[in-house]
Amino acid sequence: MSVLVFTENWDGKFKKLSFELVSYAASVAGMMNMKVTAFTIGKAADEELKELGRYGAHRVLSLVSPALEVMDNRTWSKVISDLAAKEGSKIIILSNNMTGKALAPGVAVRLKAGIGSGVSRLPVSTEPFTVYKRAYSGNAFANVVLRSEVKIITLAQNSYEIIERPAGAIPETVDVDVDQSLPATTVTSTHKQTGKILLTDAEVVVSGGRGMKSPDNWEPLVELASLLNGATACSRPVSDEGWRPHEEHTGQTGKIIAPNLYIAVGISGATQHLAGVSSSKYIVAINNDKDAPIFESAQYGIVGDAMKVLPKLVDAVKNLKK
Amino acid sequence: MLKQLIFTVILVVTIAAFGYTVNRLIKLFRLTKPAFPVRDWGKRVNLLLKVALGQSKIFRRPVVGFFHALVFWGFCIIIFGSIEMVIDGISGAERSLSFLGPVYDVLMAAGDIFALLVGISIIIFTIRRSLLHVKRFTGVEMKSRSHVDAIVSLSLILLLMVSLILMNTGYLGLQLLSGTEIHGSYPVSRFIAGLLPGLSASGYSTLYHINWWVHILTIFFFANYLPYSKHFHVFMSVPNVFLSRLDPPGKLDNMESITGEVKLMLNPDTAYSQAPAGAVPERFGVKDAGDVTWKNYFDSLSCTECGRCTSVCPANLTGKKLSPRKVMMNLRARMKEIGPLMVKNGQDYTDNRSLVRDYVSEEELWACTTCNACVQECPVNINQPSLIVDMRRYLVLEEGAAPGELKSVFSNIENNGAPWQYPADDRLNWTKNLDFEIPVFAGLPAETKPEYLFWVGCAGAFDDRYKKVVRAFAGILNRLNVSYAVLGKEETCTGDPARRAGNEMLFQMQAMQVIEILKNYEVKKIITTCPHCFNTFKNEYPDLGGNYEVISYLQFLESSISEGKLKLDHRKIKGTGITFHDPCYLGRANNIYSEPREIIKTLSPGLVEMKRNKSFALCCGAGGGQMFKEAEKGDQEIFIERTGEALETGADTIATACPFCMTMITDGLKYKNREENVRNLDIAELVAEAMEM
Amino acid sequence: MNIVVCISNVPDTTTRIKFAEGSSAIDTAGIQWVINPWDELSLTRALELRDDPSSGVKKVTVAHAGPASSEPTIRKALAIGADDAIRVNCTPSDAYYTASQLAAAIGKEGFDIVICGIESSDFNGSAVGGMISEFLGIPSVSSVSGISMENGMPVITREIDGGRESVKVTLPFVAIVQKGIAKEPRIASMRGIMAARTKAVRLYEPVDADCLTEIAGFEKPAPRAACKYVDPDDPGKLIELLQNEAKVI
Repeated sequence: MSVLVFTENWDGKFKKLSFELVSYAASVAGMMNMKVTAFTIGKAADEELKELGRYGAHRVLSLVSPALEVMDNRTWSKVISDLAAKEGSKIIILSNNMTGKALAPGVAVRLKAGIGSGVSRLPVSTEPFTVYKRAYSGNAFANVVLRSEVKIITLAQNSYEIIERPAGAIPETVDVDVDQSLPATTVTSTHKQTGKILLTDAEVVVSGGRGMKSPDNWEPLVELASLLNGATACSRPVSDEGWRPHEEHTGQTGKIIAPNLYIAVGISGATQHLAGVSSSKYIVAINNDKDAPIFESAQYGIVGDAMKVLPKLVDAVKNLKK
Repeated sequence: MLKQLIFTVILVVTIAAFGYTVNRLIKLFRLTKPAFPVRDWGKRVNLLLKVALGQSKIFRRPVVGFFHALVFWGFCIIIFGSIEMVIDGISGAERSLSFLGPVYDVLMAAGDIFALLVGISIIIFTIRRSLLHVKRFTGVEMKSRSHVDAIVSLSLILLLMVSLILMNTGYLGLQLLSGTEIHGSYPVSRFIAGLLPGLSASGYSTLYHINWWVHILTIFFFANYLPYSKHFHVFMSVPNVFLSRLDPPGKLDNMESITGEVKLMLNPDTAYSQAPAGAVPERFGVKDAGDVTWKNYFDSLSCTECGRCTSVCPANLTGKKLSPRKVMMNLRARMKEIGPLMVKNGQDYTDNRSLVRDYVSEEELWACTTCNACVQECPVNINQPSLIVDMRRYLVLEEGAAPGELKSVFSNIENNGAPWQYPADDRLNWTKNLDFEIPVFAGLPAETKPEYLFWVGCAGAFDDRYKKVVRAFAGILNRLNVSYAVLGKEETCTGDPARRAGNEMLFQMQAMQVIEILKNYEVKKIITTCPHCFNTFKNEYPDLGGNYEVISYLQFLESSISEGKLKLDHRKIKGTGITFHDPCYLGRANNIYSEPREIIKTLSPGLVEMKRNKSFALCCGAGGGQMFKEAEKGDQEIFIERTGEALETGADTIATACPFCMTMITDGLKYKNREENVRNLDIAELVAEAMEM
Repeated sequence: MNIVVCISNVPDTTTRIKFAEGSSAIDTAGIQWVINPWDELSLTRALELRDDPSSGVKKVTVAHAGPASSEPTIRKALAIGADDAIRVNCTPSDAYYTASQLAAAIGKEGFDIVICGIESSDFNGSAVGGMISEFLGIPSVSSVSGISMENGMPVITREIDGGRESVKVTLPFVAIVQKGIAKEPRIASMRGIMAARTKAVRLYEPVDADCLTEIAGFEKPAPRAACKYVDPDDPGKLIELLQNEAKVI
């Protein structure tokens, strides 16, 4: 009986997110006295799979088939539930990212499993199996009992630390049989933003709002983000005005992110914006207005003119790097 | 005899032509909807005397206004002479009205003098129009047709005046030469006669007769030209003033059809049943010329295209597309286009065009701040905002087509009872850490009936800056031991932003809810710090069954001071001066100008006025829903313009009396980097500062 | 083509959620119930397609699993413009149960596309849409940020990490949509409100289905520590704190 953890791969590689998942799975397995099987769909190199083993996976699998090139929700979720049935897994863990949300429900129906979605801590108890998750869009947290025999957890991003617990896994690549009646999705074209650090992946995000006064003032902000190896973001009015690309818009109607550090420059902190960033580990606010609501959600703040503060911050980071 | 015959024939043709025009117009009026019953004749006659006869609105631009007044009064006098000429023409007599004796002398002399004054005024107008660049005469709606129209009218009037003087000169000359009695007195013509070379008797006679015919024929022609010209106002202005909308400008009319529907929805027994037949109108709001009221159409015919409305419109001044003049001209043009086709083919006829979008764009409609400056300026009492809001009502109620931010405002008011996303539970947060209790209706024992409801409003409850203002005012109420209570969490939006933005349905739902809550607590008197809430409670809630004595906090403060109840230490406010920014919703909308000034005058350093103050005050830019949305495209923001004007006074305190104005002026100070040395305070805060605490 | 939009009845997002610590039920007094924001956007997109004569979409039905107290919210959806509605008369206890009920009822209706919002603002479950597709045995596409019609066939935009894809799926299918599917939610016009009062809401009785999860209790989120202010003239101090105290750079 193992804890099954689905670690998505990106062109055969894994990300920090993947290691968080395995670390979490290993901790849960530890609570239940079980082993961890980590698997990915699509080809991944042995070195990459071994990496998963470093964080606690006892078995690491790469499931391949030409029919799995394109993600079709039902096809992939059947592959996952078939694997779970074969492994006898009673606990299945996925990320609460786009892929996890796409696949977990299908697995849940096939295995008649209860889902705890957006879980952010280790299970509160194993008998009954209870998980702690976000509810009412962050206004409350709920302890949810998963009564079914098989349990599915989707883990909220950036909520669990990475723990190295090498378990000596030997990578396996498995050719899987795919139910040919299922695939129904065809991709006709793809458009990718290349080169930049993805907003949703970035650990540090520097974001600008209307208080920046003009699109011409963005240079120091971009420089700060680049020095911190972070991504840039913006509030809704800024993206509506066309000062910054739409992809940078974070907020209730834009991207919801959870970086380690979110620096909000010239952003007042309207509820709709905060809804997109409130799960950030640390929020820093730089704003001219000492009464701006963003300071109520920030751990660190500077009340001052962004145009004067940003260049000084840039210098300070440059000094740090020396 | 021949002259009589010819004259009578021409007169009949003229009257027939005029009759044809009038008949066409009546048929067009029949396409329009009812407006209001014409009552209060006493008030209306007063308006006639003041606005029409007294030219009170024209004099708001004193120099040009004076000359226009001369022309108007001139016309009023000269009309007697014209009437006499018609009687003469038909009867074959001469000077039929001369039996009036000394009165006749006065009338003729006045006519003669005014002919000169009007002539001079017309020459000044023509030079001004042709040689000076007057911004008011330009605009996208002012095509060459308007300019040609103006020049034609000016020329005709000049011709009338010249012909009158020459006519009188001829008459005088003839009478003097033949030694016949001169009926009437003609001081100007006498002088002119002295300047001209002497003529023979037949010369004077010819001069007289030619100019007599020129004069009367010009009048006949002019009379028939006017209905097709912008100068129709010669006929229409006086009646339009008589038929003025008498409601306070801040009041928007209630849509009865919506009231019926809201009542059905709120009643659980009828919530899912069909509306009674006939209760549903063909159209909500105004989409096209057939949807307007007869008064809207009358307004459009009375519009002189003078542009005074547009020249004070805050949206237009800052480069937005809205022009109140254009809206009225568009209605007139559209009715001209589609009206006759509707008369011929039935009211349902469509040419797949409409007033909304094809003539007046959505961008124009959404730029209006409902400040009523246009209403204040219009010399013939046209009401533009009611037509603009009626078009907004069409967009929202029929198409659900409002700017995205206003749609969010509607959702917010519907779901959480405020234009912004804040829960009702937070409505008493402003009372935290006050060193006195704020009485809340829900918490009072059943028998306690406070004298006043202090209506806090959504801004007072949720706007961080305005919370300080309501705290200050509550402190004053507390100090004066006033018997009051607040509704606290039971307060919900009055619906004002919804109504201004055209969502009549939401407004009425909110209003009926509020009225129910107030009924529950038997509220009779309301004091409020927000001019928008004040305006809607006072002027609009009675239509829906809510009748209260509504008091603006400014009125309350002023009377408390003047009655000696509130003692202020006037030395407490330091600085170089206090200037007051009139909120549109107390000022022009409700004629409250003196109270805030009386209050400020009791404080030192005293009041300095901005260039545009009282009824001339420039809007802060936030009304009409603008507070909640991005400004339409323009050159600069209205609030920056107004803050600049305030700073020009040199005052270091800008006093406001409205949460929206305060937000805009404070933003203006930030934008101009003057927050360090200029304060923006509410009147309540100034009073609290000066109170002996 | 017919579209079914699943809607959830949730408390308005500004509502202060109140409960006794550890209680498994929230205090519903004074709550204003609204259409789940993601579902509102789904409905808006479906209506935009229906109102476009070239799309081929003829009817939009809203589907809801909930008790009679949800009626006003269903009427709101009808007022916004949905043609009719179906309601499964039950209490939606968890995602599996709710999805079972909706799938059973929708299965009896004729449809080509089912649209579900990615999550509901009350339980943030992100599961019902995917479960409905599995119960009905039809494909689903997730992270959908755009649906349009080309030559009568749907073209879907699916968000992926760092970009988006244009996707085709066989009909019928379930689209699980997220924000971006419509620019802003539609509001009800006056005529819509008037018509909504008499549009049909078809009732379905619930089928036998299991409830696999249960809320044991709610907890309030931990209060945030107060903000530490740094002197604007010495922003370097902030970098120091971020490095040494917060350890994020």
